[in-house]
Amino acid sequence: MSELIGRELTLRVNGIDHPVEVAHGRNLLSVLRTEIGLTGTKEGCDDCECGACMVLLDGEPVNSCSYLAAQAVGREITTVEGVMRGDELHPLQRNLLDEGGVQCGFCTPGMIMSATALLARTPDPTDEDIRIGLSGNLCRCTGYARIVAAVRRTAQEHGVS
Amino acid sequence: MSLLIATTVDDALAAMAAGARPIAGGSDLVVGARHGKAPLPDSLVAIDRIAELRALDVDTSGAVRIGAGVSHHLIESHPVLVERFSALADAAALVGSPSTRHVGTIGGNVMNASPAMDTGAPLVVLGASVELRAVTGSRTMPIGELWIGPGRTAASPDELCVAVHLPAPASRCGSAYVRLEYRRAMEIAVVGAAASVTLAADGTVTSVHAALTAVAPTIIAVAGLEHLAGATVAEAAVAVGDAARQQATPISDVRASDRYRRHTIAVMAQRAVDAAARRAAGERVPVPVNRALGIGAATGGPS
Amino acid sequence: MTVTEPAPTSRFVRADGPDKVTGSGRYAADLTLTGVLQAAFRYADVTHGRITRLDVEPARSMPGVLAVLTAADVPDVRYGPFVADRTLFARDVVRFEGEIVAAVAATSAEIARRAAAAIVVEYEPLPIVNDVEAALAPDAPLVHADWASYGAADPIVRDRNDASYASITKGDADAAMADADIVLSSRYVADASHAAPIEPRAVLAQWEGDKVTIWSSTQVPFDARAGVCETLGLPANRVRIIVPHLGGGFGGKCGFHVEAHVAALARAARRPVRLVFTRREEFVVPDRRREGMVVELTTGLRGDGTIVARTGRVIIDNGAYTADSGFFSQLAAMHVAGPYRIPHLHVEAHLVYTNHQPSGSVRAPTAPQACWALESHTDELAAAAGLDPVEFRRRNVVDTGSEGPSGQTYDEIGLRRCVDAATAAAGYGRDLPDDEAIGVAVGWWPSFTAASGAFVKIDGDGSAQIVTGAQECGTGAVMTLRQLAADELGMSPDDFQLVYQDTSVAPYDMGATGSQTLFNNGRAVVHAAGQVAEQLKRLAADHLEAAPDDIVLADGQASVAGTPSRTVSIAELAGIAAGGELLIGHGSGAPPSAPALVGSSCVGDVGMAAFVAPQFSCHAVHVKVDRDTGVVRVLGVSAAHDSGTIINQIGARGQVEGGVMMGIGQALTEGTRYDDAGRQRNPAMLEYKLQTCADAPPIHIDFVEIPTPDAGPRGAKGLAEAPNVPTAAAIANAVAQVVGRPVRQLPMTAERVWNTLTGEDGVS
Repeated sequence: MSELIGRELTLRVNGIDHPVEVAHGRNLLSVLRTEIGLTGTKEGCDDCECGACMVLLDGEPVNSCSYLAAQAVGREITTVEGVMRGDELHPLQRNLLDEGGVQCGFCTPGMIMSATALLARTPDPTDEDIRIGLSGNLCRCTGYARIVAAVRRTAQEHGVS
Repeated sequence: MSLLIATTVDDALAAMAAGARPIAGGSDLVVGARHGKAPLPDSLVAIDRIAELRALDVDTSGAVRIGAGVSHHLIESHPVLVERFSALADAAALVGSPSTRHVGTIGGNVMNASPAMDTGAPLVVLGASVELRAVTGSRTMPIGELWIGPGRTAASPDELCVAVHLPAPASRCGSAYVRLEYRRAMEIAVVGAAASVTLAADGTVTSVHAALTAVAPTIIAVAGLEHLAGATVAEAAVAVGDAARQQATPISDVRASDRYRRHTIAVMAQRAVDAAARRAAGERVPVPVNRALGIGAATGGPS
Repeated sequence: MTVTEPAPTSRFVRADGPDKVTGSGRYAADLTLTGVLQAAFRYADVTHGRITRLDVEPARSMPGVLAVLTAADVPDVRYGPFVADRTLFARDVVRFEGEIVAAVAATSAEIARRAAAAIVVEYEPLPIVNDVEAALAPDAPLVHADWASYGAADPIVRDRNDASYASITKGDADAAMADADIVLSSRYVADASHAAPIEPRAVLAQWEGDKVTIWSSTQVPFDARAGVCETLGLPANRVRIIVPHLGGGFGGKCGFHVEAHVAALARAARRPVRLVFTRREEFVVPDRRREGMVVELTTGLRGDGTIVARTGRVIIDNGAYTADSGFFSQLAAMHVAGPYRIPHLHVEAHLVYTNHQPSGSVRAPTAPQACWALESHTDELAAAAGLDPVEFRRRNVVDTGSEGPSGQTYDEIGLRRCVDAATAAAGYGRDLPDDEAIGVAVGWWPSFTAASGAFVKIDGDGSAQIVTGAQECGTGAVMTLRQLAADELGMSPDDFQLVYQDTSVAPYDMGATGSQTLFNNGRAVVHAAGQVAEQLKRLAADHLEAAPDDIVLADGQASVAGTPSRTVSIAELAGIAAGGELLIGHGSGAPPSAPALVGSSCVGDVGMAAFVAPQFSCHAVHVKVDRDTGVVRVLGVSAAHDSGTIINQIGARGQVEGGVMMGIGQALTEGTRYDDAGRQRNPAMLEYKLQTCADAPPIHIDFVEIPTPDAGPRGAKGLAEAPNVPTAAAIANAVAQVVGRPVRQLPMTAERVWNTLTGEDGVS
């Protein structure tokens, strides 16, 4: 059934329904950060050019800066805050720390979301797969090498369900 | 101020007849509104959950109907498209980043009518037509007739692009799309070229088609290639390159000068013909050609 | 105090890591306060013009607007660390597109933006200074008509549009040049570029009574505080700057930026005010662009390829105001001299005003461009002398005990070993296809010496804190302080919590600038921890009935040397101390002093002609050039660095990998283009192209570790900037080998490479 979405809508984020009231045209990023209070997702460019705002929508990576909040109704939204397994770091999170893949950390949430989507689709990625899979996420600190290493190690550990 | 999430084409058409603007992934519209290019329309209809638009069908003749809501990601990974409509898969695999390939759709791309769109030139050389529908009826037109200027199409505001149709390619036909890029991802075409080549049994060219990206107000087909029937692939590649250089009317902007575009469009066209011919001859050239052969950027990848 | 040599902890654990991978860590734009207002600026509408009308009434009368400020609403203070040429808001004249004319605070960002746009500003146009070379002409229009009346730091030499002139003179360059067997001249032009941290800056300010707290994404909180105090007329103890997690800086967030504007808005509105920059603002507004540069060099050689003389002229685009760029002219002069033995030298540099965004310290300011020019010139010299470029460098670079271009004599240094290591790792000299080549460049960079302070304390339960003025911008330098303190106290890094980035809590530190954190604050932390260690040893000596000098701190225990059974845990000692003399250390320590210069004279000397604990490097880069299009791809990088002792291997490697990647961007895709009015044409991530993960080549790293006397802790030098210095130069030399001659503009875009290939680069 087609559905008319007004100002009041419900977004399902990390398995929890959040009723919110948002103005027409608000992007998903700003609603996540302000109305829902999940500030782990970052804004770096507001133009799909840096990847800091990456979230998963039904498991697929989406730049939330350029996606209408209202269009996400009825979909499962996953942010970096939804990646941990209970109180334990996800293996990808742990490996990013162990491999030195985190410096300033501003690109890290987006990287984690892109890498999660990549590993779900390609459990045994080549280095080229990883590099292309993360190519929408700019990092200025690391030169990417340690991030690629962390994703590779996570895949090798079969750490992703 | 409303958004209708449509689940049927009819619902979407009704909303459009009442003045709603369709959005698929919405990126172009949302980014454009925030940058002040155009305010976000008051009434929107989301078409990304219409099953008919998400379908990709291959018929018994080998022709393909790609629903307007099919993502670049599906196109770049669909075995039939990769195998037989390789130029389109080449282009889809180069669009933006993994996330924009998931969100972006062929219909959104086509209707956005950007002269720099990557999927446009492949559609032209593959002989695509576009199916438009409104509450009043539907019509189909060759893709080249859809684009009438940068950002402008021949569709009326109440017409929805529902599908792109690709006829079955001839046997011993191959296609490729090559683009000039300054980095290996997150790029927009500086220039790009698509070619489709059919080979005779002796390896000479039966027919060749080419189209160009970002060198004119719209995607353009290269005209006057009929005489290349009977030519060798090498001769055809040079001739298509020369024709591309002559027919291009590029601008100078922050990405490149007109002079450099005019030179590189010939290089891209020549490389597209070469790659298409290799595919026509049965060689497996992985998608996208740019990354497989390194011919948009220089060869070689991280080892 | 006693200098001990503790075993370095091998594993590096980022204390801020869990915050950063879970999304729970807060950055400045993540913060808000009850009642917060949003700020927006009205920027100059022209790049050079006199304001003839400024009417803020349309903004003030807009519902939801609580404050509108212009120059008339703040103290009339002209500021600047080297030349006092800047004001918070434009006063009479605007000089670049990002100049702030007015500021608005409103109940929503949308209202604030609309109100800022509604302000009426009219201008009388002034001539636009868009060409940095033309700006030096005697009859060139002035960017600052009143330049002579501005205050300036003593050593700064100024004249009209030349905001800082520097020269280094040694021997008699003209006479030596006349006697040289080979003389070669080159000219190179580098575009401006950007730090481009992924986090755009954000500021939140709140007043309580006469005190203001400002949360800011700055790399230099104490600098930011000083700027707020100076421009708003406040004492330091009423301004508190807190930096939450910082999303990268690379110099782009050094200096004092918009903290005072936001604080002034908050005071006027009597509400907290928040400002978050868009990416476009991040590109256009801060006085922290990497400077464009024109370099002209002439070098004379003996027939055997020995350098006998060099003359050089560097023209640096200062932009409209002098931020921290006052020292760039001397630093650029040093970098076009380079780490070479040059008996006769005369180089001069001008820092020239234009109507562009102001320049400021971006990761190794002046060095990547100047090194690119110098090292391209050096390969041309090698060719002229008929020598292999690496052999040419081996003959001419400085080494232990030799005298550098400005007359400094070096202690043990590892430049030659860097050349050996990088070229060996790259397989320099092997056969390659004719569209591939390996280019080599050497670089250098000083360590910066500065005052710095820290506290170390251990609480009654044995858990410890380091309270430091140092700023973590992502490099891990502050994180590594835990390792230093732990080694000093025989504890584990995990035993320490860091309290940092709060000017009202910690002693002064210069901030995340000049690669100085570990160098200077490391010294402070070692001192502070050393004091606590002495306290612990006295307590343990009482407890164990031994002499304090016989107590050893290790593995969380205090033991009597040679008698491991006589031991007490540090936690137990901390419990004892909690009832008496508390375990508190405070450290600063004397910064290393600048080395002497012999035989040279320096005009405009700001202390940059002598390098404290100089760092050396060599990069060898393997590239492939698409001859048909000019597109260059980097296939591999070998980087060798002498940055003294490496204290944190993982962190150090991360600095090299990141610096190299930034260098590849600067070499090939990152360059700011200006229109005829001096406006940036590409202030967006799509058109200003950082390298992506798909572009990243393998990077091989060698550290040539030479513990350096009179340096940082354990003989460490700085590191964060050095890896950014020679990459573009090495790429240039590889490209030149394939193309047949150098590409004389930076970045070496595909189009420029192609122009050079076809001989249509306009350079003879």
